[in-house]
Amino acid sequence: MARSWRVGGLVAAVAVALAAFPLVFSGPFPLHVMILTFMFATLAVAWNIMGGYAGMFSFGQAAFFGIGAYTSSWLLVAHGVNPWLGLLAGGVVAAIVGAAIGYPCSNLRGHYFAIASIAFAEIVRVHFNNWKLVGAAEGLTIPMTRPGSLLHFQFHQSKAPYYFIALAFLLASLAIARTVSRSRMGYYFRAIKESHELATALGISFVRYRLAAIMISAFLSAAAGTLYAQYILYLDPESVLVLSTSVQVVLIAMLGGAGSVLGPAIGALILVPVSEVTRATLGHRGTGIDMMIYGALITLISVYQPKGVWGLIAGRGGRPGGGAGHPSPAAVSAPEGGR
Amino acid sequence: MSEQLVQQIVNGLLIGCVYSLIAIGLTLIWGVMNIVNFAHGDFLMLAMFVSFWLFTLVGLDPLLSVPISALLLFVLGLLIYRFAVSKVMRGPMLAQLVVTFGISIFLANTAVLLWTPDYRLIDRTLLSGTWSFGTVQVSIAKLVSSVGSVLVTVALLLFLRRTRTGKAILATEMNRDSALLMGVNTDRVNALSFGIGSALVGIAGAFLSMYYYIYPQVGGLFGTISFAIVALGGFGSITGAFVAGILVGLVQTLGGYFFDPAYKYAIVFLLYLLTVWIRPQGLLGW
Amino acid sequence: MAHPTRNSLAAFFLAVLALLGPPARAQTQKVIRIGAVYPLTGNIASTGLDCRRGAELAVDIINGKYDLDLPLARTEGLPNLGGAKVELVFGDTKGEPKNGIAEVERLVSQDKVVAIIGAYQSSVTKTASQATERLGIPYVCSDSSSPTLTQSGYKYFFRASPHDALFARDQFNFLKDMEKKGQKVKTIAVLYENTEFGSNVGKEVVKLAAEYGYKLVENISYTANATDVSSEVGRLIRANPDVLMHASYITDAILFTKTFHEMNFKPKAIMTFAGYIEPAYLPAVKADGNGIVVRSTFALDLARSKPLVAKVNELFKKKYGMDMSENAARSFTAPFVLADAINRARTTEPEAVVKAIQETSFGPQQVIYPWQGVKFDPQTHQNVYARGILVQIQKQQYVTVWPFDAAAAPVIWPLPAWGSK
Repeated sequence: MARSWRVGGLVAAVAVALAAFPLVFSGPFPLHVMILTFMFATLAVAWNIMGGYAGMFSFGQAAFFGIGAYTSSWLLVAHGVNPWLGLLAGGVVAAIVGAAIGYPCSNLRGHYFAIASIAFAEIVRVHFNNWKLVGAAEGLTIPMTRPGSLLHFQFHQSKAPYYFIALAFLLASLAIARTVSRSRMGYYFRAIKESHELATALGISFVRYRLAAIMISAFLSAAAGTLYAQYILYLDPESVLVLSTSVQVVLIAMLGGAGSVLGPAIGALILVPVSEVTRATLGHRGTGIDMMIYGALITLISVYQPKGVWGLIAGRGGRPGGGAGHPSPAAVSAPEGGR
Repeated sequence: MSEQLVQQIVNGLLIGCVYSLIAIGLTLIWGVMNIVNFAHGDFLMLAMFVSFWLFTLVGLDPLLSVPISALLLFVLGLLIYRFAVSKVMRGPMLAQLVVTFGISIFLANTAVLLWTPDYRLIDRTLLSGTWSFGTVQVSIAKLVSSVGSVLVTVALLLFLRRTRTGKAILATEMNRDSALLMGVNTDRVNALSFGIGSALVGIAGAFLSMYYYIYPQVGGLFGTISFAIVALGGFGSITGAFVAGILVGLVQTLGGYFFDPAYKYAIVFLLYLLTVWIRPQGLLGW
Repeated sequence: MAHPTRNSLAAFFLAVLALLGPPARAQTQKVIRIGAVYPLTGNIASTGLDCRRGAELAVDIINGKYDLDLPLARTEGLPNLGGAKVELVFGDTKGEPKNGIAEVERLVSQDKVVAIIGAYQSSVTKTASQATERLGIPYVCSDSSSPTLTQSGYKYFFRASPHDALFARDQFNFLKDMEKKGQKVKTIAVLYENTEFGSNVGKEVVKLAAEYGYKLVENISYTANATDVSSEVGRLIRANPDVLMHASYITDAILFTKTFHEMNFKPKAIMTFAGYIEPAYLPAVKADGNGIVVRSTFALDLARSKPLVAKVNELFKKKYGMDMSENAARSFTAPFVLADAINRARTTEPEAVVKAIQETSFGPQQVIYPWQGVKFDPQTHQNVYARGILVQIQKQQYVTVWPFDAAAAPVIWPLPAWGSK
């Protein structure tokens, strides 16, 4: 009982803090950091539906992100389609592509799936890099429409509107993740993650639910892609389709706490500001120290807090060895490598 | 035309052998511990720097730095296993994936701090120059590296199959719990496998440093390709990784030559996807 | 156990928030801050650091007293603003376009810089120049070479250095000049890395080859930072062009040079862009580089007709212990353009500075390049005098070979055999 009060108070405090942030920190850099944080949080929440719930560790989320960014931008640049419609179109395209690639990969497990997702994302990147229709390596520049407006999804005077839109994206994806998590589908996802054989024996269609997870995740990632494109107003394969973006998404989700609803968002709230602030304060020396700190931080958290920050907050964190999901050493050592 | 075809096949084999050696170290670790070492490419980078500094400071030829590089990387592998990887072995699988990413970022940027982001190349090695076989040109350094890769692979297979320690590693790879029951100290086996896997990439790095440029981010693409190779060959399969490495070298070179160089790595990844679609466990996995 | 960790987490958040807030820096009247964004870490950090050296030396010269013809060299600081000193504040982009925006905004809002220079990679310059356009802050670039940058009609963006379309045209004019000397060229192959820089050059070369009447026998785009390039070189050997034109960054320049030698690819000339003139290139390939022609804005042997070049290089050497590279030399110009404009405007107010930049007029003696000076086109904001030169690597030195009137040595033609260098 006391616990739920505390949670309620915390939620209220966070809500007030998030709403007040643009008033307190009016400079563009803090807002920029927060916009990126919300964007990566959305990506991590989307990843979590695939990876955290359904156990498909994708290292190729940049492909969905990029497809979303490219679809809405291309529709806008070449055909003058409103970016909000483009956002929906990008989400649908990404979901279809996700299903198309997910179907043949649906019997891959563990590391095989992870490597397949890298391979898929790299193929997408190379293809966009050579695809003349979408500007190939030169990318797409979205023309500035002045004055900016919500309808055109562009703002030039202040970053606050981007801040609130990005926050809305995050809240929407959290709501979707929560709904999925509590629905029957969510239970099936976790059943599939725990034991493929058991799930099949219970009559859960393995392929169908895996595809559902991929498609939801792809749609949300693509929406974040449109947000990126409309915010930066320029995109090329090197900025939206690279492996490092995919990896960052996984790192955020894992460090925050994969499998929980809020974990990935908390991961973004820590990791994105850390990486931006260390770059801003130490990067100009050109010594690489900022990234050393970042790398060391990731290593330390995965060693000492392997269930992520969420595990800590929820009070069930602990040293490696204990924890739900991996009840016995035997379950850990049984290779998930599809043997 | 056909001369150029022979040349391309030769070059594909040469780069393929080096891919194989890099991938074998990765697959050993993967097979025994079920851990993906995403820092593998950075280990390769460190090995190349070892050869570079031994050459620059002491004048030791990269060919002779092979054993030193192997030894140093073996020790590095042991340390990283002891202080990071072993601690997540019983944790969630995701933590196991992520811990090596952290190490990767850390190592690459430590190299930037220590040695600046500059590009280096070792020149005038014992093995510089090319041999001409008719119209086909073969770089001596690449040829020796490839022969070296094959020899190291054979030696590893012999070690695993003929020695007591090797058999313990293989047993652990096949079934950890049975191995534990049979009295194998699996923690020691893990440490040893991680060390040997790192030593193998150390050898690959020393070979590669004879003809490839060296800088802190050099491990990136080699690392990514070696993941695809290991998965293509089947996780944990040494022979699989060897065959897949050569296959990838050939596909990349011939694909670039006949189709489009811009797509040559994409073709490699496509090959992987098609293979696992048909055989989810990889070419020689089980 | 949970509580101390929770507290440390809270402390950590507070620390992050403290960093996000505006720094409490005292604003002195005597300092004019210019933001300089470069890729100082990441894949091409080596180039970014090189650019930084050039910009830093320029600021030293502006702030100190030097007997040089460069603008503001003979006075300390900006005389019209009471001798105010210029200070560079660096921002690291890691070479990522999104950081171009972030760093410009951060430098402007937190460090109160009044103008921006730099970026190097054209994709980053694109987003950075868009940010300055939104903020209304002057941006003078002298190191990015994509032609598209000065085609957006931006009000606050200026480029002092030449772009790739000009550079590509130089290469073709050179071939025409060689024909007048009796060296016939019929076929050309183009090879370029497939990022924004390389593909732009590729596009220009294809266009110009048709315009100048050369037959294009091979058109190869390849993945940058490749592990092996024998299939690319194999295709070149099969096409057997008279001249190869190659646009690459440093890593691929090294790898291709080694592979050209190894597979004995021997056109009459190898004409190149960018990577072949980085300071790390020659130490890496040594004699294999001999005979390769590179587009450039700068070469140390320009000192023969321009004593200023030698003097500046001496200062550079004293400060950094190495010769000035082409990247450093290019980034050297932007601070002068800005400092001179601010000095004439007598204020850092953006509109006045932009107006002053528009009226910039440097003479040939005020730049370290073989240009007529600096003067911006009123529409595009491209320096109308900017042009390239061609240098050839001879005995492991960059030697100016074209235009012939600025040449320090005759061109070595055709390319010498690989073994005999």
